[in-house]
Amino acid sequence: MTGFASWKSSPIVLGVVFFAALLLLWESAVRFGWVNPFFVSRPSLIAASLSREVQSGELQRNLAVSLGEFAIAYGASVMIGILTGLLAGRFCTLEYILDPFLWFLYSAPLIAFYPIFVIWFGLGAPTVIAVSFLLSVTQITASTLSGIQNVDPGLVRAARSFGASERDLLWKVILPASVPMVIAGLRLAIGRVLMGVVVAELFGATAGLGFSIAYYGGLLQTTNMLASLVVVVVLGVLCTQALSALEAHFSYWRTDLRI
Amino acid sequence: MAHARNTVAYRRTVSIVAVLVVLAVWEIAPRVGAIDPAYTSQPSKVIAAGIQIVRSGGLLEDISVSLAEFAAGFALAIIVGVPLGLLLGTFRVLRYLLDPPIMAIYATPHLALLPILVVWLGIGMQSKIAVVFVGGVIPIVVNSIAGVREVESSWIAAARSLCAREWDVFAKVILPASLPAVVLGIRLGLSRAVLGVVVAEMFQSQAGIGNRIMRYGSEFRTDYLLFYVLLVSVFSFTATWSVRALEDKLWTSGK
Amino acid sequence: MEQPERSTSLAHVRVEDLTVAYEKPKQAGTFTAISRMNLDVARGTFVTIVGPSGCGKSSLLMAVAGLVKPAGGRVLVNGQPVTGPGRERAMVFQDFALMPWRTVLDNVRFGLELQRWTGEDLTARARRYVDLVGLTGFEHYHPHQLSGGMKQRVGIARALAVDPEILLLDEPFGALDAQTRDQMGTELLAIWERSRKTALFVTHGIDEAILLGDRVVVMASKPGRIVETMQVELPRPRTLEMMDSDRYVAYRRRIRACLAGEQREERATIPRY
Repeated sequence: MTGFASWKSSPIVLGVVFFAALLLLWESAVRFGWVNPFFVSRPSLIAASLSREVQSGELQRNLAVSLGEFAIAYGASVMIGILTGLLAGRFCTLEYILDPFLWFLYSAPLIAFYPIFVIWFGLGAPTVIAVSFLLSVTQITASTLSGIQNVDPGLVRAARSFGASERDLLWKVILPASVPMVIAGLRLAIGRVLMGVVVAELFGATAGLGFSIAYYGGLLQTTNMLASLVVVVVLGVLCTQALSALEAHFSYWRTDLRI
Repeated sequence: MAHARNTVAYRRTVSIVAVLVVLAVWEIAPRVGAIDPAYTSQPSKVIAAGIQIVRSGGLLEDISVSLAEFAAGFALAIIVGVPLGLLLGTFRVLRYLLDPPIMAIYATPHLALLPILVVWLGIGMQSKIAVVFVGGVIPIVVNSIAGVREVESSWIAAARSLCAREWDVFAKVILPASLPAVVLGIRLGLSRAVLGVVVAEMFQSQAGIGNRIMRYGSEFRTDYLLFYVLLVSVFSFTATWSVRALEDKLWTSGK
Repeated sequence: MEQPERSTSLAHVRVEDLTVAYEKPKQAGTFTAISRMNLDVARGTFVTIVGPSGCGKSSLLMAVAGLVKPAGGRVLVNGQPVTGPGRERAMVFQDFALMPWRTVLDNVRFGLELQRWTGEDLTARARRYVDLVGLTGFEHYHPHQLSGGMKQRVGIARALAVDPEILLLDEPFGALDAQTRDQMGTELLAIWERSRKTALFVTHGIDEAILLGDRVVVMASKPGRIVETMQVELPRPRTLEMMDSDRYVAYRRRIRACLAGEQREERATIPRY
């Protein structure tokens, strides 16, 4: 592998160049008539569609709706998930009570519960928020709980040997030690919230990015549909990158960190 | 923490009691008029609905449609994902090339691809298989890459020192050493794949469990709806649990 | 087993008929780590405890630290029974047990914070102890940036900073390489000579035990018990060169004979199938 040593310094350049090449291939494949543009559109058309949507304000409107639902669901699940995880980590009886439900919710395809939420909350934002919240809160609770349970017992013992009270243990050992796991949970959850918002909007909404994808899909307008999909992809990448950066910031001291 | 609370028996008792209490509340609350049964149904009604569905004979047909889509898509995900992941893990340049697209798909809610897949492949089984494949393949690839990259370099050095050829190093060191990570990827892909098949059927379809869920949802048949939802959940739970058991076995044999 | 009546005032730490047992994980019954042990440690002495792994030497230290509850007997410190950790004892751990998110300085501060030290700037005090163990310039490093030897210096500084009467060291150099271990031992002695705190030092290294200790306690396993205690009549300050002296070699031979004798017995008791 030493022959590739010169590539090692530039994985980003390599990735970006390859990505650009893919776009170019896509564009030219359609232009030269190798593939039917009805099915795949092409990057320049998608870009044009995006700029039109920006000018008409359509993109901003959809983005605002989706981001609003996203913020409420994520914000609520962060607060409730961390709190529940902490309490369950401290009081084992609560953990045992929650355990079967957490397991069930964690392994069940939660979006399948969508119709029942529609029955409860009707079509629209409340249902979108409820589904996304449920997806996210499960992840955050589970990660927080496991973060607390996996605190190195050697550290707890050392703190005890210096006379730490239960309160000290919580604030000076258990909480700081579980921060990386909590943030890893936040990172996984942000993907689930985005999934919840977009998919719930696919099924039943009157605005939002998912709605836009489904709407143009129904009209068979591939270009517009792909334009909205691009926005979702960019949003997903941005969210994940932001949380990964946050995770790196708070986990600098963890040498055993694995993705 | 009291000593008695750490025992397995205590843990099991608390968990079982908690589940029973929730089921009891769910059963009794609509009976005493605390909540409208149309919204939540009741365990007894869900069971009754299940019996009816099984008796009517339509269940097997729906299961076979969903299961066929799931099996085809997920098998494809494993067949493509594992070799691709191992390849990308081994060859750095290849990994650098494909890293951005893979990360982009990983960060994207893959179910957002449903409408475009329907445009491409129609509302039949093909689009479901494609969604299952996309959902399953990404975690498999990502974890297989990680598995190869985390192989102890001293193991490879040990094999080389014993005059192993490149192929031997791959087949006898890298492959078995990354197996646990590969299986972890399969487990993570599994739940996404189950989600994929159900949601794809809920989105647009003519048959399958997801189709039933959506139909009974729109008819406000909460008991039928819940039976199907629980059926899928139990399937997902059992499948994930089985792979996890396999993982535990692999980890202990690796030690 | 009857101990002759001794004045308690002499013993800084007294282990009385101590039994330590653990519940076996995932099965019924208990595992006896230490059985009915007696030991007196006089104020200001450096006692080393040597024995094979699994002989209960760490359990003894945990019991003195107040981190495990004895199944029988008791530990007295200054004549008072130990019921938990206390300010007069501080421990150094084999795996360092540093808080990985704290810097060197903040790790040394850790014990001071927990013991609610007042009347003095904690950071200034911590800094003095960082200096004492020779880590000046590394105050703002995190543990993962340090070598094993440096990590244990932090561990020692953390224990010394709370100014304990008794220092409990659980194989503190067990995770270090041989050269670092020798060097750390010498430095620990130099620090100890200045304060002459009572020290209980657990190790599985015979040389370390002789070179550091005023008294060597040899333990054997199944059940954990003391088979021999031995005064080390080497002058202080100790140096590595003393390892060549006849007296040292004699100590070494005696300890090895104790440990080997135990092992022979153990082998003989293994049932044949």
